[in-house]
Amino acid sequence: MPAAVERPQAIARQRLHPLSPVLKSVRTLFLVVAAVSWRGLQNLGPDLYALVLLGLLVLVLLYSAVAWRFTGYEVVGRELRIHEGVLFRRTRAVPLERLQAIEVVQPVLARLAGLAELKLDVAGSGKAEAPLAFLPLAEADVLRTRLLALASRTSAATAETAPAATEPDAAQPEQADLYRVDNNEVMVSQFLTPPVMFTPLAILYIIGQLAFNSDFGVFAVASMVTAVAGTIGAPVMRILNFWNFRIGRAADERLRIRHGLLETRSQVVAPQRIQSLTVTWPLLWRGKGWLRVTLAVAGQSSVNADGRQSRAETDRLLPVATVDTARALVPLALPGLDINALPLSPVPHRARWLAPLRRRVLAAGLTEHAFATVDGLTTRQLTVVPYARIQSVRVTEGPWQRRLGLATVYVDVAGATPAAAVHRPLAEAFAWADDLTTRARAARAEV
Amino acid sequence: MTEPRLEAPRHTAARSALDPWPGEVTWRPVSPRLVALELTRVSISTAIMLAVCGVIWAFTGSSWALVAAVAVLVLTVVRGVVAVRAARSYGYAERERDLLVRHGRMVRHLSIVPYARMQYVDVVAGPLERSFGLATVQLHTAAAASDATIPGLEPAEAARLRDRLAALGEDAGEGL
Repeated sequence: MPAAVERPQAIARQRLHPLSPVLKSVRTLFLVVAAVSWRGLQNLGPDLYALVLLGLLVLVLLYSAVAWRFTGYEVVGRELRIHEGVLFRRTRAVPLERLQAIEVVQPVLARLAGLAELKLDVAGSGKAEAPLAFLPLAEADVLRTRLLALASRTSAATAETAPAATEPDAAQPEQADLYRVDNNEVMVSQFLTPPVMFTPLAILYIIGQLAFNSDFGVFAVASMVTAVAGTIGAPVMRILNFWNFRIGRAADERLRIRHGLLETRSQVVAPQRIQSLTVTWPLLWRGKGWLRVTLAVAGQSSVNADGRQSRAETDRLLPVATVDTARALVPLALPGLDINALPLSPVPHRARWLAPLRRRVLAAGLTEHAFATVDGLTTRQLTVVPYARIQSVRVTEGPWQRRLGLATVYVDVAGATPAAAVHRPLAEAFAWADDLTTRARAARAEV
Repeated sequence: MTEPRLEAPRHTAARSALDPWPGEVTWRPVSPRLVALELTRVSISTAIMLAVCGVIWAFTGSSWALVAAVAVLVLTVVRGVVAVRAARSYGYAERERDLLVRHGRMVRHLSIVPYARMQYVDVVAGPLERSFGLATVQLHTAAAASDATIPGLEPAEAARLRDRLAALGEDAGEGL
């Protein structure tokens, strides 16, 4: 074990911003204030009420002052340590070599105070863990650059310990954005989703019920209104989230993705951390010729192990784009990949018994650097997994497939659903499985 | 970085997921006691279901309970056949750079897990497995979908496999 003993502190222990405990407890504070105000104003009278509020405020400030003294972060050897907590003291150690990507997030309140939060995506954990909250925005950006530089240095497994002061990236001026997604397109694209398309019908239905059906109770109306608000909610959140979507380059060929209207997010992803890339053509976007491109970065999965969507969507490379834009920008994430010229082969004609309609869509192929599959009749999806990122390969052969001499090849990747080449001829499936393992090994050896 | 024995069979027709590269890979079977273990599992669940049927019959006297009992017995036969075939179908092969695991009769599965991708190896043995002197080895990669579980191993073989896999994983490991 190359122990971290002789390694000096790369970043000495520093405190988080003094406002962080306040910002973190602000939600509880609101609840407490609301609870006190409910009856308090009448029972106590304005003077006493003000006094109680003042007392609360002093308590919170005191707590924050104490909590602040315990907060801090430092980099010791190969790990980042985050200290937190007053009663339950917690020190979280994040091994830097497992750091996949760092996101700088500014929630609305923190943004007002000019603060930001660092979200560290660590390989092996299902969700983005270990938030470092809060730091001044500029400091957060600098820290991110330094952490990423340290991470790539430790993962290179060299014992060099360059002085942290001479970080070249930290001083480097920010590069201009390469591409900016049109906000109007974001808006239109989110309105071209099934929930929004059907909302007018639902509203008409409610109005109709109100006008003609006297039995229609208030509660029914209320519940339907909340339902409508719920369906509208997701697209609206996405519009807010993908507003001002910009892609740029950061140091070391890394991608910098920034977006958000109220809560801004800025993400730096190293291309070698990208596990898979998915291009999706939703049915309703086809008229516009639009697609979206998502990335799977280990540790920051938006898909759980059980395949369900979770967390805010921070996995977009392009929330909405035309094919030409995607062709121009996808190579930033996976160099040398042209999504329009993939050597895909269709499934054999006999697959029609198992997938009568999907047969025309299904395709898969081995490109120079990646494995690519296409699936989905209405929402077409292209999944690309670079050979170097393949974790394991599986072949399954169901009873009906066996009768037809077909098999499905799965390519498993970290933090994403496996890429599946469905209904391939059996011989081809095994040839591919063999080829994939060989190419994956060669690609790993290169890196 | 090519493995000569991988090259040859690439374009020959493979027969099934249980033996994709005939003659190229030496498959190791799992312990035959796995069949007995699976049958015991089936009979335990049958016994429980029959007991439920019996209790219902004792209290209500409904003849439906007897019908259900017959259905349970028929189901047991089917499940027993499936379990025996599934248990017999398990096999694994340690190749130079990856582990192959195959299983399933109806739906045939073949997993290829490179040693370099292994994150950790589990050896699990439940009470029933222990009473049969068996253990299960599970390989985990960074991908949740990776499926390499070998049940029905003798404890010695399980330990050997675990140590070997762990050693190979350390040699070749680069995580992600």
